[in-house]
Amino acid sequence: MARGVLKLPEDLPVSVPRFVGKEVTRLEDPGLVTGTAEFIDNLSLAGMLHCAILRSPHPHARILRIDTSAAEAMDGVAAVLTGEDLRRWCNPAVTAPEGWGSYSMAVDKVRFVGEPVAAVAACNRYLAEDALEQIRVEYEPLPCVPDAHAATTPGASLVFEEKGSNVIQSRVYDWGEVDRMFAEADHVVSNTFRWNRVGANPTETFGCICQWDLTGNALTCHGSYQVPRFMALGRSATLRLPANRIRIIAQPMGGGFGGKGGPRGTDIAALLSRKAEGRPVKYIEDRIEYLLAGGGQSWDRHYEAALAVRADGTITGLKVKLLDDQGAGAEGYGTISAAKPLAAFTGCYRIEAARYDLTLVATNRAPTYPFRGYGPPPHYFVLESLVDMAARKLGMDPAELRRRNYIRPEQFPYVVPSGNEYDSGQYEVVLDKALALADYAKLRAEQARARAAGRLIGIGVVSTVEPGVFDWNCYATVGVPGVGVPEGVKVAVDILGNVTVAVGFNLQGQGQFTVAAQVAADYLGVDMHAVRVATAASDVALPHFGQGGSRLGVSVTGAVLGACRKLEVLFCRVVAHLMQTTPEQVELMDGRLRLKANPAVGMTLAEVAGTMLARSDLLPPDVEPCPEANYVWTAPGRTAPDEQGRCKSYLTAANATHLVMVEVDRETGQTSILGYWIVDDCGTRLNPATVDGQIEGGVAQGVGAALFEEYVYGESAQPLVTTFVDYLIPTIGEVPSSRKAVVVTPSPVSPLGAKGTGEGAIHTTPAAIMCAINDALSPLGIEVRETPASPRRLWQLLQQVA
Amino acid sequence: MTDKQRVCVTVNGRRYERWVEPRLTLVDFLRHELHLGGTHVGCEHGICGLCTVLIDGRSGRSCLTLAVQVDGAEVTTIESLRDPSTGALHPIQQAFVDAHGLQCGFCTPGFIMTTVELLRENPDPSDEEIKRALDGNLCRCTGYQSILASVRLAARRLREGREA
Repeated sequence: MARGVLKLPEDLPVSVPRFVGKEVTRLEDPGLVTGTAEFIDNLSLAGMLHCAILRSPHPHARILRIDTSAAEAMDGVAAVLTGEDLRRWCNPAVTAPEGWGSYSMAVDKVRFVGEPVAAVAACNRYLAEDALEQIRVEYEPLPCVPDAHAATTPGASLVFEEKGSNVIQSRVYDWGEVDRMFAEADHVVSNTFRWNRVGANPTETFGCICQWDLTGNALTCHGSYQVPRFMALGRSATLRLPANRIRIIAQPMGGGFGGKGGPRGTDIAALLSRKAEGRPVKYIEDRIEYLLAGGGQSWDRHYEAALAVRADGTITGLKVKLLDDQGAGAEGYGTISAAKPLAAFTGCYRIEAARYDLTLVATNRAPTYPFRGYGPPPHYFVLESLVDMAARKLGMDPAELRRRNYIRPEQFPYVVPSGNEYDSGQYEVVLDKALALADYAKLRAEQARARAAGRLIGIGVVSTVEPGVFDWNCYATVGVPGVGVPEGVKVAVDILGNVTVAVGFNLQGQGQFTVAAQVAADYLGVDMHAVRVATAASDVALPHFGQGGSRLGVSVTGAVLGACRKLEVLFCRVVAHLMQTTPEQVELMDGRLRLKANPAVGMTLAEVAGTMLARSDLLPPDVEPCPEANYVWTAPGRTAPDEQGRCKSYLTAANATHLVMVEVDRETGQTSILGYWIVDDCGTRLNPATVDGQIEGGVAQGVGAALFEEYVYGESAQPLVTTFVDYLIPTIGEVPSSRKAVVVTPSPVSPLGAKGTGEGAIHTTPAAIMCAINDALSPLGIEVRETPASPRRLWQLLQQVA
Repeated sequence: MTDKQRVCVTVNGRRYERWVEPRLTLVDFLRHELHLGGTHVGCEHGICGLCTVLIDGRSGRSCLTLAVQVDGAEVTTIESLRDPSTGALHPIQQAFVDAHGLQCGFCTPGFIMTTVELLRENPDPSDEEIKRALDGNLCRCTGYQSILASVRLAARRLREGREA
């Protein structure tokens, strides 16, 4: 009969797991290294048209008139779309909080540079772009709201007039006796911090092909969709179609990191198809469109923050005041980024009380979207910088100050002031391993010698908690309802013993198809290559979410285990019936259903599946001829939030310490990374090579955020960054080769003990680098509290003391 | 739009003759006229290197090259690498699989084509030489460390194959 919860890989019904926990090569890769994977722009449909979008050059302007007649008259142009069509057929985007969404194409006024104003469907993309040049738009510029501070200035222009204010949300969370902690503190360190806009920038931009079925009143969209089911729900709301008439087919994606975007592009292509009598319309966003107005801008934040510290180094209180520039509304769910830190507000530390004073405002910058980490990277930059400032004030080593304040292993499960419960961890073990790996004492001695020689060398030692397996409840306070995030799979065995795992998501890079196959293969005792993982379209897939919030590795594992367990129960019943015994006498082991009392007697999966499919006369009367099982997993034990947002939200708490040594060049302000060391604990490593890849990729994005990447806006909200010449993604020359070691503390609450691990490195790297730079600058009495610490920014600081 | 021009080009050993608009980029020509979809587009302004192909043996940006410019040239794309009879991966492709040198895989064909050129000219490159060769290719997923390892592995296997 079926086993209970599988806490560790050793609990799988095989003598020795062959795939789980091993560095297996990925199922995904052959199609990717040969260039044959079907990314959206590799897909063509018969009669397909190509879309190009005309975008606003103004940050804030009334649209007086649009003349599309010349474009419509062009040979090869099939349809032209403007805001008037949207007004007639659509609703504005649904947002959280509600009421801060625009139509997918500007109606009456534009709110940011790059907002779609008109679009053309033509027989090829070149011609569609020619047609855009024939569209005449008259604008009346309006006073604009260029940044977060301007948004709250009395008399400021309103981005959404009907709201009467640019403040999307303003509230204070109070957790514990914050005022008393600060009143009783021996030291208070406080400061302001600025995190400038960065974003996902996957190498593939957003793309889709939409086809409106005019007779069936239905819509089919192929595209680079990260969360197909939610894309269908969102389109249902904007396009006024029942959600079950929207079929979202996710193609393999060239990266996502949360910032793929897609709602506006999908709506526009869909409506062009509707106007072009149902011909399919392809829209492939180009890089300039992505950088201007795609899903790639996140975290535009102004902070004031303070730490209460006792003389012995005990940190007792944390206050964070955040003014967050959401851009032109909440359509990209950037608001969630501000709520996410609730899952780990106080990081690794036993801080008793905390306050989060949060103001989210709308401006005439591009709307903000998720980006890997979804909020904590800037928060940890602030928290960890304060910890370093406290260490300097107390004259303590920053690693020792952290050690003194860590949550201790025996304190888990540990509830942080902001309400989430951490499952497990060994923070001091991780720290000590990192210090040993880097030979910290030697690095400090090197630093002392270099300083004596006048060089600016600094060391950052930063530990963070990565909340893994997100839950909607964490975001309730910005207006996202719900508890639980279903992830469903179907596991089917065919007559020859091949196994199919049908999932609701497609490839995005993190290797979850491989994880699903590893788990299914080890549970069912088959070779990994006997397992095929396939994506089901959104209208027939089980409830699912897909990639996001460091959850899919864990949740797909839970779903596959659940479905395999149901198959095991079913197969045991069939075999018991055939062998005239009871199901309790039958067990699954190494791919065979066998008699417990006589293991030599049994049936293979193929024999059982074949019997079910082809010999219904032999089945128990109430068993369907269906060797398949569905299972929809959601994290156990999640709770509804209280009035202060407190709840059990993210299921797992991974932990890492990053140690980095940098040198700042006095003459140029350029930062060089001299060494980088990482010790990571994400519980059971389902595929260690994939985990390493997640860490290394997160480090690279963290290096970008700390040193290079920034969406710069001019004083009038004009974006000054529109190409990769301006938005500086780190190359192979800028990303350090890190030395790594591992601690494994299996999660007691997750399937096989795995913890979410996609976001830990980007939580940690920016803070570690910024702390290292400030350690380097500390002899000069200056510090950088704004990201990225670009050469220009550091050079200007250095001039103050030159 | 202007009158179409004739392009005669050899792609992956096969000769093509097509009439194209002068403004048609090489990458659009490869992808949409010849249906060789393995060469990807990342920025269309020459920074990301996703569209890298070999033009007369030298790596080049097919987004900044016009189709009419390769008239008379030989172009090599990712589709040429797999063994046509067995379907076996090229040693560089296999090394990227074995050393986990990719995640989403969208930038991978560009990296592999750049690596083809590098290892042809320098069979035993140092890490610094690999970095110099690949610093015109952006990857947003891997952080490059596994790409470095993949190129090292491919170089070793190609050298051993040559000696064997």
